[in-house]
Amino acid sequence: MEVFFTSPWVPTEWIKAHGLEPRGIWLARDFACEPLPLAAGVCAFANAVVRLAERQAGSAVIFTTHCDQLRRGFDTVAEAAATRVFLFNLPVTWQTPVAERIYADELRRLGRFLVGLGGHAPVVAVLVEIIMQRSRARQRLLEAAPWCPARAYAEAVARFHLDGSVHLPPEDGDHRAAGMSSIPLALVGGPLPQSQMPLLEALEKAGGRVVLNATEAGERSLWADFSLIQDTIKLWAGHPERGGDSLSPQIQAHRTGDKLSPPRKAEFDAAVPVERLEDNALDLLVRGYLANYMDVFQRPNTRLYDWLRVRLTARQVRGIVLWHYVGCDLWRAEAQPMRAAFGLPVLLLDADEAAPNRNTGRLEAFLESLR
Amino acid sequence: MNQRKSKVQSPKPKGKGQHGSPDCGTVGPRKLSLNEWDGRYEELIRAGLHEPSYGGPLRRHVLLEGDLRLLQLRFDNSAAALRLWNFLLTENQRLHAARAQGEKIIGTMKDLGTVPVMAYALPGLRAFYPDGAWWTPCLMECSDGLLQQAEQIGIDASFCPVRAMLPAFQNGEHFPRPDALICSTGAVCDDFSAIAQRLEKMGFPIVWWEMPRRRRPDPGEAACALPGDLCAPQIQVDCVRAELERIGQVLSGLAGQPLDDNAFVRGIREANKVRRLLAALRRVVYTSPGAPLPALELLVAEMLAIHFCSDREETIGVLTDLLAEAEARLRRKQFVVDEAAVRVFWVNPVADLRAMNLLEDWGGRVCGSDYMFTHALDLIPEDLPPLEALARTALADPMVGSTRERAHRIVADCRAGRAEAVVISRIPGASHCAREGALIREVVRAELGIPTIELEVPPICDAMLPTLGSRLQALLETARARR
Repeated sequence: MEVFFTSPWVPTEWIKAHGLEPRGIWLARDFACEPLPLAAGVCAFANAVVRLAERQAGSAVIFTTHCDQLRRGFDTVAEAAATRVFLFNLPVTWQTPVAERIYADELRRLGRFLVGLGGHAPVVAVLVEIIMQRSRARQRLLEAAPWCPARAYAEAVARFHLDGSVHLPPEDGDHRAAGMSSIPLALVGGPLPQSQMPLLEALEKAGGRVVLNATEAGERSLWADFSLIQDTIKLWAGHPERGGDSLSPQIQAHRTGDKLSPPRKAEFDAAVPVERLEDNALDLLVRGYLANYMDVFQRPNTRLYDWLRVRLTARQVRGIVLWHYVGCDLWRAEAQPMRAAFGLPVLLLDADEAAPNRNTGRLEAFLESLR
Repeated sequence: MNQRKSKVQSPKPKGKGQHGSPDCGTVGPRKLSLNEWDGRYEELIRAGLHEPSYGGPLRRHVLLEGDLRLLQLRFDNSAAALRLWNFLLTENQRLHAARAQGEKIIGTMKDLGTVPVMAYALPGLRAFYPDGAWWTPCLMECSDGLLQQAEQIGIDASFCPVRAMLPAFQNGEHFPRPDALICSTGAVCDDFSAIAQRLEKMGFPIVWWEMPRRRRPDPGEAACALPGDLCAPQIQVDCVRAELERIGQVLSGLAGQPLDDNAFVRGIREANKVRRLLAALRRVVYTSPGAPLPALELLVAEMLAIHFCSDREETIGVLTDLLAEAEARLRRKQFVVDEAAVRVFWVNPVADLRAMNLLEDWGGRVCGSDYMFTHALDLIPEDLPPLEALARTALADPMVGSTRERAHRIVADCRAGRAEAVVISRIPGASHCAREGALIREVVRAELGIPTIELEVPPICDAMLPTLGSRLQALLETARARR
C-alpha cells in the first residue's frame, strides 16, 4: 500500500520498515496538477493534499501538524477517511526533552496506524538496513547538489522522497560551465510540487541559476548524519572494529529481489540486547530526525538560518527567491528577517497559478536588478 | 486585552469608598452613546457613585488616549458597565504603575488563559497578553498607525490584526516592555506563530513552550478527562505538564521564589473564582428571555478570564458588579435587548467591537459564544495536583484540537442558549479561519438545522456596513421566519 506523506520530517524509514510504501507527495502522480476551487484564504497546497486524500481511496495519507492549513485540512477528511488518514504531530520546539517525547510517541502511534493498514511490526535488521540505505541515498544527493542542474536536482530529491531511489543525471562539466554567466540564486521556501517545478526553468530563462534549492523537499530535506550511521552500526553489530562495517553486505544477503527478509538469529548477537533493539532503533530514528530537521515553523527557527547561512556563503548566492503558497504566513513573515540576516535581496514569489506572467515579470525585474 | 497607547499619567487615587452602583437603580437598562454617557456619569456621581482608582468618565479615554472608536460604540448604562470599561481601558496605565512599583511584567502570548494562572500565583508578577494589541487599531480607529507600521516591516493585511503587536513592541508607546515573554507554540495559528517569531528576531527574547495538537486517545491508550467534556491521551497531558513545569521555573526565577503547590493551588482557586463568576454571568445573560446586558459588555467581560486584565482581584470585583446588575435586571424583567430579538450564537471574537452593537441594532442578541478561549471559562480541576490540573485545562483549548470537537461544543452551547442562528465571524487574514467556518457550519446544520452564516469583520467595519448589514439581517430574517 502506498502511504503519502506531506513533510520530509516524517521518517520514511519507519513506513518502509512496516512493509508499506512511503510516497513523498511532491512528485506524486496527478498531485496539485489541476486548478481546484478555493474558498477564501485556503492554501492551494493543503487543498491539493485534501483532494489527494479524498481521491486515493486505496492509499493512506499522513498529514502533518506543522501548519494550520494542513492541520485543519486533516479535519475535513478525518471523518470520511478515518482509517487511512493520519495526523502526525511534528513538534515545533526542538531544544527540550518534551519535543523528543512527542516525536517518539508519534512514531509509535504511526506504527500502530501502519499495522492497521496491513503493515507489519518492523524487523530491526530491516529497519537498520533501510536507515542506512536512505542515509546513503541522502549522501549521494547532497554530493550532487553543487553540480546538478536545478530542475534535475529538484526532481531527483523529490524522486527520493517518492520511492527512495536516486536518479541523477551524469555529472557533466558542461552543466557548470553553461551556468557560470548566470546569477546564482537560492530558492527558499515551502513545498514545490512537480506542477510548480517549471519555476526553476523560468528562473534560468530570466538569467538566474538556482545553486541552492531550500524548498520543503529540496536539499534542505536531506541530511548526512554520520553519527546516525555510526549509531546504527553500533546498534546492530557493535563498534565498527567489531564488524559493524560489514553490516550492509550481511543484510543485503537476505534480500530476495527487492524484498527484505528478516535476518538470521545469529545476526541478533549485537552489542545491544535483543529485547531493546526495537526501542533503540526507534530512538535512533527519533534522534536522527530531531537532530537534523530544520524548518521555518520551528521555534525558534534559528536552525534554518544557520543552515542557510553556511550554504549561501559557500555558493556565493546573490539573491534569494522566497517561494510560498498564497497566504502562507510562516514563510511570508521571513522575507525581511532573511534580508537582514544574510544581506541579500529577497524576492517574494507566490504560487498563484492564475498569475504566471506576473511571476515571470517579477523574476526578470529581480534578476535585472542583480546584474 | 486592550493594549492602547499609554500617554496619560498613572491612575489617580480615589477615595476607598464602596465600589459599584449608587442608589439610582430605578433607571431602566439602556444603551448609551458616549455623549449620553457624559450626562449619565454626572448623574451617577451626584447619586454618590464610588469608583475604583481607575475610574472616571469614559470620555477621557477619547480625549487623552485617542480611543476614537468609543464615539461610535453604544454602552450599557449601568455603573457596573462603567467600571468594566474603565478597567479595560486603563490596563496599560495599570501595567506601567505596577512596573513603577517594582513588579515584574510578564508578556504571556497565545495560550489565552494558562500561564497567567501560574504568574498570578507568585508575588510581584503581573501577566498580560500583548496579543490584546489586536484591538488597538479598532479602538483608536487606526489613528495609532500600528497596522501601517506592521505593513512596513512586511507583515501586511494577509496576517491577522494581531500584527499590531509588533510595532507596539517596537515603539514602546503602549504597554511596558515585559521582563519576560512566554509564548505557546505548536498547534497554534500560523499568524501568531509567525508574528511572535518576528518579535523574537526584533530583539525580544521569547520562552517557547510546546502545545501539541490535541487528539483523541487511541483504543487501549491511557486517556485523561479534560475540562469541557474532552479527553486526551495521558502522554499529551504529561508533555504539557512538563512544559508548564519548565515555565513555572522561569516564573519562579523572576519572582525570586519557587512556585510551590500551596501557592499554585491558591492561584487556581482564585482563577476559578473568576471563572465561576463568568459562568454565572453568562448563564444569566445568555439564557434569560431578553438580554439583561448587551453583547459588547459580555464580550469584554469574557475577555477578563484570560489574564484578569492584569489585576485578578479587581476582575473579581468587576464581574461581581456585572453579575449583580444582570441578576437585578432579570428579577425586574428589564432587558437591554428585548425578548423578540433573534438568539444568535457567536463564534470568534470580532476585530471591530462595533459589530456586537450592530447585531443588536439589527434585531439579534447573543445567547452564547465561543471567542476562541472556552478553556479559560471552564473550571480548572481543584482535585488534582495543580500542574496536572492546569495542563489538562490548557489542552482543552478549542483551537488546539480538531475543529469538529470545537463544533460539537458549539452545538451543545447552542442548545443551552436556545440559539436560533449561528454567526461565524472570520478574523481577517487569520489562517485558522480559512477552513474552520465550513466545518463548524456543517456540524451545526447537521445537528441543529439552524441557519448559519460566515462573515468577516475588519478592525474598522464602517465601510463594510452595507454588506455586513445585509448578511446579518438576512440571517436574522431567516431565523425569525422559522419561529
